[in-house]
Amino acid sequence: MTNHLSEDEFILHYYGEIDRADKARIDAHLASCDDCRLAGEKLERVMRMVDSASPVEAPDGFERIAWARLEPHLDANPARGWRVLWFPQWALAGGVAALLVAAFWAGRMTGGEQAPAPLQASAAAVADVEPGSVLRPDVGAHLDRTQMMLVELANDSGDKPAAFAGEQRRAADLVAVNRIIRQSAQQAGDGQIVDILEDLERVLLEIANAPANASSNELTDLQSRITQEDLLFRLRVIASEMRQRNQSDRTTGGPSPRKMPTS
Amino acid sequence: MDERDVSVVARARDGDRDAFHALVEKHSRYIYSLAHRMTGNAQDAEDVVQEAWLKAHKQLSRFEARADFRTWLHRITVNCSIDLIRSRRHREDAHDPADLEQGPLSERGAEAQPTPERVAASAQISDRVNDALGLLTALERAAFTLRHVEGMSIEEVGEKLGLKTSATKHSIFRAVKKMRHALEPFVQS
Repeated sequence: MTNHLSEDEFILHYYGEIDRADKARIDAHLASCDDCRLAGEKLERVMRMVDSASPVEAPDGFERIAWARLEPHLDANPARGWRVLWFPQWALAGGVAALLVAAFWAGRMTGGEQAPAPLQASAAAVADVEPGSVLRPDVGAHLDRTQMMLVELANDSGDKPAAFAGEQRRAADLVAVNRIIRQSAQQAGDGQIVDILEDLERVLLEIANAPANASSNELTDLQSRITQEDLLFRLRVIASEMRQRNQSDRTTGGPSPRKMPTS
Repeated sequence: MDERDVSVVARARDGDRDAFHALVEKHSRYIYSLAHRMTGNAQDAEDVVQEAWLKAHKQLSRFEARADFRTWLHRITVNCSIDLIRSRRHREDAHDPADLEQGPLSERGAEAQPTPERVAASAQISDRVNDALGLLTALERAAFTLRHVEGMSIEEVGEKLGLKTSATKHSIFRAVKKMRHALEPFVQS
């Protein structure tokens, strides 16, 4: 018997996903070819073995670990009378830093393409900012911008040097804002936020300071850092919580200071 | 969902912290296993569990009281696993942990050649299957799990993973071939 089924056809047949046009031919072949029928039965046995395997069990006491990790992140929900009041105070206070951040970004929009300038300007700005005075929406916007930049970098194939140079400029800008927010969070003792902002800063600095003609290996290293440290995952969690807070405050008549537990 | 579950979920929806804690206690092990099957390692599984509970907590008010809580949580966990895998796709593409040419587990030294009696034990089978799953890239593993375990069609798997149908098929084909190469020596003919 010639024209035996291909391995791909066996798999599609097993899952019942053979195209209608091919189904009659394949069924007819299986009915008349012992070799292919046996091969199909062998695949079925392998799949039954997969089905019979027990899933990997969680370690003992995992429920407690899961709750301990989760509890500090649960939303405050004053309307329903529960939850720890957790939104960071440092992210709610004064307007000075917010204006500074806004002015900084406005400057970036109109300030041309030179990378070093914003970094220097912001370094001076950081020194003038009173810790504990960044508005929450700016924090959320910063995390969103950082996330976008990291996603783009993680997907950079490395064949467009101009695109990488653009990502470096954005990283340099983000470092500056990141420092302002991190210092405020540090002042308020918000260890969890400080941790991720420190990790972010290290990666952003590496990106900003990488040679413009970074080799594909160097780019891969940077991309590995982003993924290995779960930066995107952690960023998404925090940014999403920030947005949730903002929405909640809009519906309840504006933000009120809350303290994030230091777990 | 039994009556007690309905009542716990209802209390959690109303903001009862202890009720939500009870749900975490009851279902965390289940979603850990699910997340581990999707992601292939303990650290990622733990992260997915946390993300899944955070999402569940935020979306609890939208949960239909008549629906099954575990099914709902299962879906959230699968989606969180997919998010994690998609965010890592670029890295995965660059570092495939095992090529088809690498050969099945049964050819990798004496340690990997148990007797038929040992293989017959279900723990051994589970180990073999989990070892074989370890040969898959994260993308192949996710595609295979969604197709084989979750029962999604290839088209649905592609939508979930953001892949074209041809790329989805390719991932599933590679996954099944690796599983077959690794496990075929242990199935009785």
